[in-house]
Amino acid sequence: MRFDKAELRALGWLVFYDVNRTLGGLASMELLRRSLGERGWMTDEGHALFVALSRLTPGTNILAYCVALGWQLAHWRGALVALAAASIPASILIALLSATLAQIDQYPLVRAIIAIALIVATLLVLVAAWNLLRPYIKGTNAVRTGIIAAIVIVLVLMKVTPVRILLVAAAVGVVMASSAAPPVAEIDR
Amino acid sequence: MSVVALYLLLLKATVTSFAGMGSLPQIRQDFVVTQGVITDEQLSQAVVIGRSAPGPVGAYVVAIGYFAGGWPGAIAAWLAMITPALLVIPLLTLLRRFLHLPRVRAAVDAVVIASAVLLLTSVVRMAMDAFDQLTRIFG
Repeated sequence: MRFDKAELRALGWLVFYDVNRTLGGLASMELLRRSLGERGWMTDEGHALFVALSRLTPGTNILAYCVALGWQLAHWRGALVALAAASIPASILIALLSATLAQIDQYPLVRAIIAIALIVATLLVLVAAWNLLRPYIKGTNAVRTGIIAAIVIVLVLMKVTPVRILLVAAAVGVVMASSAAPPVAEIDR
Repeated sequence: MSVVALYLLLLKATVTSFAGMGSLPQIRQDFVVTQGVITDEQLSQAVVIGRSAPGPVGAYVVAIGYFAGGWPGAIAAWLAMITPALLVIPLLTLLRRFLHLPRVRAAVDAVVIASAVLLLTSVVRMAMDAFDQLTRIFG
């Protein structure tokens, strides 16, 4: 897959900007969906696939998400650029904070900024959840979606770990499979 | 503790967890309880720093690495954080090979739906976290 240096730089910048301007990977994924979607580098279906894969991959979800999208766009070069852009800036900042042993949480201004960032991140995650669910609540899919959602909620209340919940959901999906199931669209570039 | 040992111990924690903070119990066991290279207070500081800084939540392990081994430790921790993410490549390659099968499609769809519902449960926790931050400021 051809992806020239300018496009690689643009990918790196987009990942750096969207991952490092919010708190937590879930909000970052939603920002990336929008940014990459505007460039025609990501479809909603591709985003949904990457979100699912990132939850099934060990470690930090947003890093797996970035590797997946980078790989899809430009194989190893894309994966490494996206991974570096997502991980290095935050790691440098955290190492610097650790080096100064800053008790950052005690300053009211820092707490206020964190509170605002958390609120924004919460809203982004809400939008992200809606965007993921939207294709699956139309017509006959709504019943299947409702069943899976109910099972997930019960498992969450039973304090089952997320990975096990996803595996159970996959098993339920296989059992409920029919020829009418909508295809998971290929990721477009 | 050598940098290689630090990397391997942190990798053990990151590769056996499925979310940024999921590695915390294993890290406490290995670094605080068993090896004694950091204290509980340093572990808490690392968590606060990781939660307060923008970017991946799992990057708190870099603070662990710094406390345990200075700048070389921080670099080893960064490597331990990013290594598991590369596992998504064979997973993606494998999935795409079988994605045309109806049951595989259905399983992926179900995982996407479940992920969305899990996101909604995360919203509840995040909202509570934000409320907690606000009450600490104004309370």
